[in-house]
Amino acid sequence: MSAIQPNVHPGANGDPNRPALYSSANRDILRVMLKPTVLWAFAFSLALISMVIGGYCWYYQVIWGMGYAGITHPTFWGVYIVDFVFWVGIGHAGTLISAILYLVRSRWRTGVYRAAEAMTVFAVMTAGLFPVLHLGRCWQMYYFFPYPNQRQLWMNFKSPLMWDVFAISTYLTVSSVFFVIGLIPDIAIARDHATGLVKQVYGLLALGWRGTGRQWRHFAAAYGFFAAFAAPLVLSVHSVVSWDFATANTAGWHSTIFPPYFVAGAIYSGCGMVLTLLIPMTYLFKWHDYVNNWHFESLAKMCMLTSAILTYAYSVEYFIAWYSQNPYEQAIFYWRATGEYAWAFWLMVFCNCIAPLPFYFKKVRTSPVWLFAISILINIGMWMERFNIVVSSPAHDFDPATWGMYSPTWVEWGITLGSFGWFSFWFPLFCKTLPAIAITEIKEMIAPPMKGGGEKHA
Amino acid sequence: MSGAHAQSEGSHAGIRVKGVYAHLDEMLTGIDRLKKAGINGFDVVAPLPRHEIEEAVYEGQPSPVRWWTLIGAMTGITSGLLITSLTHMDWPMIMPGGKPVVSLPTFAIIMFECTILGGAMFTLLGMIIHAGLPSFGLDKAIQDPRFSDDKFGIVFTRASTKDADRIVDLLRGSGAIEVTTGDDTIYEVPNV
Repeated sequence: MSAIQPNVHPGANGDPNRPALYSSANRDILRVMLKPTVLWAFAFSLALISMVIGGYCWYYQVIWGMGYAGITHPTFWGVYIVDFVFWVGIGHAGTLISAILYLVRSRWRTGVYRAAEAMTVFAVMTAGLFPVLHLGRCWQMYYFFPYPNQRQLWMNFKSPLMWDVFAISTYLTVSSVFFVIGLIPDIAIARDHATGLVKQVYGLLALGWRGTGRQWRHFAAAYGFFAAFAAPLVLSVHSVVSWDFATANTAGWHSTIFPPYFVAGAIYSGCGMVLTLLIPMTYLFKWHDYVNNWHFESLAKMCMLTSAILTYAYSVEYFIAWYSQNPYEQAIFYWRATGEYAWAFWLMVFCNCIAPLPFYFKKVRTSPVWLFAISILINIGMWMERFNIVVSSPAHDFDPATWGMYSPTWVEWGITLGSFGWFSFWFPLFCKTLPAIAITEIKEMIAPPMKGGGEKHA
Repeated sequence: MSGAHAQSEGSHAGIRVKGVYAHLDEMLTGIDRLKKAGINGFDVVAPLPRHEIEEAVYEGQPSPVRWWTLIGAMTGITSGLLITSLTHMDWPMIMPGGKPVVSLPTFAIIMFECTILGGAMFTLLGMIIHAGLPSFGLDKAIQDPRFSDDKFGIVFTRASTKDADRIVDLLRGSGAIEVTTGDDTIYEVPNV
């Protein structure tokens, strides 16, 4: 694979190489829809098989009990919570790209934001499974939700776990609405290019959208507000997730650096996942006019920044452990790097602190092969970071008599595989049924057709 | 300027007139000339939101969706405060460590999430109501697939018969590539 079209860097005034016409944006992006290829069918089947394996493992765990998961005394938060935090984190880059970069009018977001936003919704849908999956009695999951139940008891709103329920459900709702609202004008385009039953289905989904002045006026106002809500929301969500740990009086978790450290990690892993998904997609769909080195390089730069923040956070944790003179804090940090889980720790350090360093060379961050390879390492590294945090602290608590090792069982690995399958099930479906690049916003970047010499307008 | 409100359904008291434009500036000229001639009651249709169009048609009238947003966010923060404090006062257990029953720092997080949720949901509702979605009943003249592609349009769904000729002239004069009236405004192609 050679570098993607070297001539598509932003021009002198920051303009990327784009099709000159509105109509070519419609056709280029809709071209790939509803035409499954062999490769697509292969990826989709792989996702389905993984989902079936995960589903079977969950069935097995429900029938035979939680003993088939490796979580036991003293580590009751195992791979399920690792997966939960991992998937919530993956979602963050999507909202960063779609909402925060929208508010700061960053131009490179346009080509990639739809796919990133879809990734957010699917990742949060995946994360939302884990609080249910890790329950021994999953059919009692409704205990999470605030309702006046027959015992006249309400949940404890002072518990970070309740904060988490509110944060994740709000995040899923708001990011889904943001995603769907942005899709309406594009679905209307798909309707106008379709025939027969497909036209009727898209027509229904487009809610009769026609692009009248009245529709655009309220749409544009609402879209800005959704972005303004999603931006602080995304920062709050991973902060709340980090408080699941940080408010616990457990060595290695009880730290005020957790919220910014988790948010940076989330954006790092999310940008990695966006690269992993978009690079093959761009090649398969031949979308170089829309997604190209400009976008990949920008994502790589986000990874460089967030990786630097992570490296700083890891170092500060060690510094504070030493500086606090707290023996428990020192012990856990010493053990993480030298104990039985040292492999996870060093894999994390390699993938999150060292692997993105080559991005400092422009050649690397504009080469799709390097970008793709490093993005995979980023995904692995961030999963390892959560494993390192979630598992090591309870395994090596204050009292040596309670120490114990945790290792995931085949049921837990199966469910983890299933979660990747579930995520990968939705993404290819999305690519083939909905415009995976925001056509209308691409048009906003194209110079509007002007005859020139018209009357002056206010 | 009350231009784009004529979303007719079915019966026609007046005559349909549709102008199709290939260029944005020509459509803006058309809007300007119509306004100067004192002719209202048209819809503008565009493949993308352009601030020039909004300024020309809705000059100085920001979308009322923002009020929905404000009311939603205020409802959200109030509900967040009420659900947490009332339920805790209903079971006033003093937690170990002596935290107060109603502890604002811990409830602030729930209140924050409820603010976002309430604000976003009300914004959605406001947008749906003001934009008139779902809008399957829009006039057939507006339902032109070229308007989601690369053309702009000014559509009268019920122009008064006495104005119709003037409107046609104004639209033609401003550079419309196609001006049609009556049933000719309905553009029928299965696929573009």
